[in-house]
Amino acid sequence: MFFQQMVNGLILGSQYALIALGLTMIFGILGIVNFAHGELFMIGAFVGYTLTMVYNINFFLALLLSISIMAVIGIIVEMIFIKPLRKLPETSTIIGTIGVSVLFLNGAILIFGPNPKRFLTPYVDKTINVAGVTITQQRIFVFFISIILIILLGQFIKKTKLGKAMRATSQNYEAANLMGIDTDYIAKITFAIGSALAGAAGTLIGPIFLVYPQMSIAAMTKAFVVVILGGLGNVEGAIFSGFALGIIESLTAGYFSSYYKDIVAFLMLILILLFKPEGIFGKHVIEKV
Amino acid sequence: MTKLFKKNIYCAQVFLIIMLFFIPFFNFKQYYMHIFIMICIYILLTQGLNLIAGFTGQLSLGHAAFYGIGAYTSALLSIRLGVPVWLSIPMAAIFTGAFGIVLGFPCLRLKGPYLVIATLGFGEIMRLIFLNWVKITRGPMGITGIMSPEPINLGFIKFSFDTKETYFLLVLLIVILTVYFLSKLINSKTGRAMISIREDQIASELMGVNITYYKLFAFVLGAFLAGLAGALYAHYIRYISPDSFVISESVNILVMSVVGGMGTIIGPIIGSIFIELLLEYMRILQEYRLIVYGLILFSTIIYLPGGLAGLTGSAFKKISLLLDRNHKIKYTE
Repeated sequence: MFFQQMVNGLILGSQYALIALGLTMIFGILGIVNFAHGELFMIGAFVGYTLTMVYNINFFLALLLSISIMAVIGIIVEMIFIKPLRKLPETSTIIGTIGVSVLFLNGAILIFGPNPKRFLTPYVDKTINVAGVTITQQRIFVFFISIILIILLGQFIKKTKLGKAMRATSQNYEAANLMGIDTDYIAKITFAIGSALAGAAGTLIGPIFLVYPQMSIAAMTKAFVVVILGGLGNVEGAIFSGFALGIIESLTAGYFSSYYKDIVAFLMLILILLFKPEGIFGKHVIEKV
Repeated sequence: MTKLFKKNIYCAQVFLIIMLFFIPFFNFKQYYMHIFIMICIYILLTQGLNLIAGFTGQLSLGHAAFYGIGAYTSALLSIRLGVPVWLSIPMAAIFTGAFGIVLGFPCLRLKGPYLVIATLGFGEIMRLIFLNWVKITRGPMGITGIMSPEPINLGFIKFSFDTKETYFLLVLLIVILTVYFLSKLINSKTGRAMISIREDQIASELMGVNITYYKLFAFVLGAFLAGLAGALYAHYIRYISPDSFVISESVNILVMSVVGGMGTIIGPIIGSIFIELLLEYMRILQEYRLIVYGLILFSTIIYLPGGLAGLTGSAFKKISLLLDRNHKIKYTE
């Protein structure tokens, strides 16, 4: 029972980590809280669904395609919607991204219909039994592919020149601009990576649950819990707290009731905001007047 | 001339308000009466949010939770405990006002995105409680059989509140009293203190404004209005379920305030009327209408930061300036 719940928690957590990573990166680099991030996840799930179920493409190829398509969509979204918002006051950017989220959610309802769809892959039904823990193959893929993506992203940010430019931009947007970094380009790349990760999460998790437009709302609220727990803008924090939240949720669901798991998540959110708003791993920043 | 102009405006306002009370006698279709009542309920909601977000600058996405608390409290009080509806509505509003402290207190130290996410979390917690506390709220089945307010017999005339016409008169009266009270409040010391917090929190603290008090006051009064709106909604529709109090409802209230113009008294009124009518008129567009709705919010933020009220406000200023100039020219002649 305990191990089964731990395994479920890790798989759920890997998804939370993927979605929250993009959200926290976009905040760290662009200073924008993207309330439309849940919609990017949902669009990713629908892209994966369309590729595998309608065009009968192999699941792994579809995953790669969906990641690339979502990266392109991310760039387009940045160009059309996010760029005009970046210069506005903070409250206006938040309301603006909420507008984008309403737009995408209802666009998806229009295109795909409001009803949940089953997203079947050959790996959903095949189970593996290891030491009393039953897992479907799909869940194993979800976990390992997420880990691979997270490691790849970490290497990209640490090792490449572009990654270095992204880190510089997140430290100080204007100074980076003065040092000759094309921050507009960095903004596009950041959004592309964020959407690609959300799209990957959507395509990976879609077959385990159902795919429907309103899945974006739950994904967005959970991603916010993860991002706040880890500290807004903190990449390592988002990865760790993604897994932590996944494990806590599945343990609560296993030992108490699945009704409580969401309430526990949001209570954690409120408590963290009350006592340590900079996140579990955040350094305390004394605000200068 | 400007004085006369202002006086005329004042007379026009009074005339307009009196005209509003005659709406039920025009024999509108029941469908239109329903829209009018919903506009009034949304005006209460948007005024509450406007007080928190527009005047005090604390952007909140948990307003639907207050709306739900008011609706559930009033419905449960009247059904389970047999409290008369005339008593359960104010009781629900006061109880919701107390919940304003529950949300307002943790939010005192937060700002920007942290505040928005915290209020979002509060909204989700309340929705989950409505959904899962089946013993009290009947969960997803919702509460049915909520009664309308008891009839009032004035001897010569009898008001029974089970028709849309009389219910409209009730909500209209409440809306007018609320708007009058709020416009007085905003021009008082309290209102100026709230606006100063929005403009610059540190500066206003240095000027001696008690930030904790005024922020909590905004949350309590905003929650009170939302609770009142919720109670009025519950006794009008007579059926409530957690579906009515979800995040998208909070977003809806926010859209109305923003499109109308945050930080003005007239803005939320214009916004509620505009969005509610727009959504009804656009039924021809069917599924496209909510896309248009998202676009409207986005373009308001980019192109019309002051909302529709900002637009009419500037037009109004231009007209009065024009009249003033004519007057001066005449005077010098």
